[in-house]
Amino acid sequence: MTAALLVGTRKGLFVVRDNDVEGPLLPGWEIFHAIARNGTLYAAANNWVYGATVQRSTDGGQTWERSEPIEGLAKAWHIEPEPEGALWLGGDPACLYRSEDGGVTWEPNLGILEHPTRDRWNPGAGGLTCHSIQLTPEAFYVAISAAGAFRSDDAGETWTPINKDVAADFMPDKYPEVGQCVHKLLAHPAKPGRLWQQNHCGVYRSDDRGDTWERLDGNGLPSDFGFGIALDPADPDVAYVIPEQSGEVRVTTEGQLRVFRTEDGGASWESWSDGLPAQAWTGVLREATSFDADGVYFGTQSGSVFSSRGGWRELASQLPTICSVEVTEL
Amino acid sequence: MIAVVLPSLLATQAGGRKRFEVDEPTVEAALHALPVADLIFDNSGNLRPLVNVYVDGTDVREADGVHTALRDGQTVRVVAAVAGG
Repeated sequence: MTAALLVGTRKGLFVVRDNDVEGPLLPGWEIFHAIARNGTLYAAANNWVYGATVQRSTDGGQTWERSEPIEGLAKAWHIEPEPEGALWLGGDPACLYRSEDGGVTWEPNLGILEHPTRDRWNPGAGGLTCHSIQLTPEAFYVAISAAGAFRSDDAGETWTPINKDVAADFMPDKYPEVGQCVHKLLAHPAKPGRLWQQNHCGVYRSDDRGDTWERLDGNGLPSDFGFGIALDPADPDVAYVIPEQSGEVRVTTEGQLRVFRTEDGGASWESWSDGLPAQAWTGVLREATSFDADGVYFGTQSGSVFSSRGGWRELASQLPTICSVEVTEL
Repeated sequence: MIAVVLPSLLATQAGGRKRFEVDEPTVEAALHALPVADLIFDNSGNLRPLVNVYVDGTDVREADGVHTALRDGQTVRVVAAVAGG
């Protein structure tokens, strides 16, 4: 078993290791996210002609099987495993599924599908996408663009909006109950109740399971806008974001590809970018940032993959537009 | 028998098989007999809008759609719409 990056792109899935790029697997499919679990690869796969599915492979990507048709799924966005057992799938339009048979069949989550606030949810540029699923011992969390973040205290049966103090600057009511455009939500793996989110309107941290949020982007970040966010599993006060210039422009700020790091819970941020390109006009999509105990990893819309292990360096370049990066053991 | 010919991406999803022989009365039945029927039809059972189907060179949308009747010896071709980049 060695560390590898599963890199989903507009033109298939790549497996990136030090000095080695394998792929494309699933050529012709847009891979919005991919994971490995117990020796099986799972890919949230979309095709502009043939629709959305979850592909799975038990032979390292040489052959694949599709899920049985998934009711109501227009785009497959994110696959998240429970520590033991089931898989979860988030998709467009604002749909959440659970599979108890290893991704063969998927059951829709009625708590999201029939949520009483659903008529107030609106699609963003990427659709009405359920893209963040965090399954922690104390609660489950999902985030949807643009519906906001939700918490379940009953293993997914019901979902409570957790968007207090989170801005929705694009709406008449700037602080509604729902409708916020979360770009990525993560729960810290070692500190129960600590959540981070990169939002369309700022970077936020919560220490009470999302009941309240503190906005953090006025403390050294060049922009409040971005998509991905990464954490340090050993230090809950550390987080990483890759700012982009505004929702209208959506390109790296000041022509530089920079990762910003906080070591004090978001009270201050500093550029942590030695080794990254001095000039770059690109972007990093919401699923294209990953982390483990050894580093942070991300892929750009211009097809480059970077790793911070031993200092920032480029592991791959000239790939198709990168949709997702997931560090794993293969 | 009816021959059904798939484009390369569907053939890959069908285990690498590009050509099938079926004995079915309609286009709909012939396509549902394939292991990639879920990619050709949406969850409501409708032909996906960017999937074109030809019977001996004629677009089935110019005939009776997926209900177009088939007879022995005909060839059904599935073609993805030409669009995008």
